[in-house]
Amino acid sequence: MSRRGGVDVRRPAVYLGLAGLLALGTTLVPTSSAAAPPPPVVAAPAPAAPAPDCDQVVDSLRPQGPLPEPGAMPPGTTMATIQQRGRLIAGVDQTKYLVGYRNPLTGQLEGTDIDIVHRIAQAIFGDPDRVQFIVYDIADRVKAVEGNEVDLVVNNFSVTCARQRSVEFSAPYQLAQQRLLVPKGSGIREVEDLAGGTVCTSTGSTTERELEALPVDMEVVTEIGIPDCVIRMQQGAVEAVSSDDIILAGLAAQDPQTEVVGRVLATAGYGVGMSKQAPDLVRFVNGVLEQGRDDGSLEESFRRWLGPQLDPAPPPEPRYRD
Amino acid sequence: MGAGVVSRPSGEGVAAPARGRRARRRSPLTGGSTPERLRRVGALLVLGCVVAAVVAAVSGYDRSEAVLESDTRIAALASDAAGLYQSLADADATATTGYVSGRRESPEGRARYDGDVRRAAERLVHAASLLPEGHPATVPVTTLTTNLPVYAGLMETARTYNRSGLPLGQSYLTQASKLMQQTMLPAAAELRALETAELAEAYRKGSALPLAVLLLGLGLLAAVVDLGNGERSRTNRLLNPGLVVGGIAVLAALVWWGLATVMTGSALGEASRHTDAVSALDDARTAVLKARSNESLVLVARGGGSGDRAFAGLTEPVMGPDGGGGLLGAAEASGADVRAVRSATRSWVQAHQEVRALDDSGRFQEAVESVIGVDPSTSGGRFAALDDALARAIAVERDGISAAVARARDAQSLLAVAPPALFLLAGLAIALGVAQRAGEYR
Repeated sequence: MSRRGGVDVRRPAVYLGLAGLLALGTTLVPTSSAAAPPPPVVAAPAPAAPAPDCDQVVDSLRPQGPLPEPGAMPPGTTMATIQQRGRLIAGVDQTKYLVGYRNPLTGQLEGTDIDIVHRIAQAIFGDPDRVQFIVYDIADRVKAVEGNEVDLVVNNFSVTCARQRSVEFSAPYQLAQQRLLVPKGSGIREVEDLAGGTVCTSTGSTTERELEALPVDMEVVTEIGIPDCVIRMQQGAVEAVSSDDIILAGLAAQDPQTEVVGRVLATAGYGVGMSKQAPDLVRFVNGVLEQGRDDGSLEESFRRWLGPQLDPAPPPEPRYRD
Repeated sequence: MGAGVVSRPSGEGVAAPARGRRARRRSPLTGGSTPERLRRVGALLVLGCVVAAVVAAVSGYDRSEAVLESDTRIAALASDAAGLYQSLADADATATTGYVSGRRESPEGRARYDGDVRRAAERLVHAASLLPEGHPATVPVTTLTTNLPVYAGLMETARTYNRSGLPLGQSYLTQASKLMQQTMLPAAAELRALETAELAEAYRKGSALPLAVLLLGLGLLAAVVDLGNGERSRTNRLLNPGLVVGGIAVLAALVWWGLATVMTGSALGEASRHTDAVSALDDARTAVLKARSNESLVLVARGGGSGDRAFAGLTEPVMGPDGGGGLLGAAEASGADVRAVRSATRSWVQAHQEVRALDDSGRFQEAVESVIGVDPSTSGGRFAALDDALARAIAVERDGISAAVARARDAQSLLAVAPPALFLLAGLAIALGVAQRAGEYR
């Protein structure tokens, strides 16, 4: 079969066939690069378990004698440390209208709770503006006190015995009643009307537990702050918002198409939250609050902010455990 | 001369007819008389030329398309995606900073926000028009298109409440910002990642080694050379002019492809480097915009020093831990001039640290003044300078991409036409050459 002198068809055919096969091979081998990895899935944080209940709220610490002169805090006290620092560090809220809110026209924090902070700064420095405000979410208030991030928290902080394990409260300076905020004309008058519906409150608040304890078949959803609940109600995602009347009054004032309805579901007393390691500061703050109670300026502040919305109760009489 | 040529193969054919039949059965390539075999090999070569021409035309068209696409559609989409991200992030940063001022929103701030939203909408419309049906990028584009009016609505509600002096506005602002940070910006980032990958794929396609064409061409060349050589030694004659022309045409087609590949490869390599630089600079711009939003949000939220931790987390990747690496280092490694950006970043981070020092020592109002400030000593002014420097550096790199891709287009402008024509010419020449030679046996 040797074709020494003949025309060789085989070799050119092999060349072409091989080239054709290889060329075909290159088009069959997948060359596209690997697909991009899928975006990471962000897991929602698990809700914190509610603190176990306890029975009895204990009374606060009695003020010791008359208040020291502003700007002359006794050496060695917590107040002296604050005075040396030059400013009081207070944990507050800035979204609760008339209570603790940032006035968007001035950028300043205002409201009943803010007045109390200024009152304490006045007593320490003789200057109500020596304050650094730090805003905390409702759920982070206890942590702020425990971690000594602030000197005190004034932010609708209800005195409860569960919180008293980690926070020393002043005597309550204001009483609040838990009720409902609903759209006008919704027909909802009482919490029972919410059966099968959805109600919103803030994460980590006492209201959340009060609502869940009610024998009404409703869904309780939570947002970081009560105003976020109102936005959801305005957007039609929830039927009602539950919180303290004082907070709801400020919200009703911002949206005239809402109203506060229903019986009182629970009552609470707001106190100034402080560290358990600073009993001297607690006694001092109780003294400052007593002064405001006695000269009527505390009630006057409540009336000035909340008067047009609700008839604010006068500050409750303090009780001390000494 | 001719007699000798004819006698040997024909004698052989007569001498072994049985063997020839057996051989034909075994392999149809080796049987038959010399002119038959010549015609057969000629037909084979012509077929090879036609196949090579078709393959060259198809892959030449593919590559030109890839380069054209990378120059037009995909590059436009990638630039839309990056611009979209910038506009959205900037709108959010501007709105938040406007709020921290605690006074009437400045006309400049308002105009900047409106311009951002308008540009984002324009980019979305443009991107949507470039996406073929079923393209994976339609998912993020849909997410963005449906959420942009929701975001703008939340912002307008926030403004209305703010103007009435009611703090519900801040809650709306926070909700809008959350929508932007958690849903819209990730979608814009996804769009950008998809388009950057598509662009890289187009560059790869446009400059990949054209194996199919090269293999076919080389096989063809080997076959032509083999046949020409065999004919020359078999007949002791000069090379067949048809085969010579055919071989040269095949070689020319191969050289054309080789040169086009090398030139396109170098041009697209440069485009790819510029693209890497733009990517790194885009990432840097995104990071500093987020950090700027955070600077304002920390003041709006009055969260104190703890909220500021995100700032360092956002700015460190820009400069790297030692100040000379990070995203700017990557852009520099890809050939970008980032000196101005680097010094602007340094001076803004410094101003930010002053803002934090003011806020942490209770001088909140002074901290706010610096953040919303415009003169070069304030955080606001220095951030604007940084944003400008980044925008300029990105523009330079984008021009670099356009120029490089234009060169790639030039390099393969005739690739889909000329090499296939050369292959066809080779086929024609081979056919003529072989026919002439086979004709000599009559």
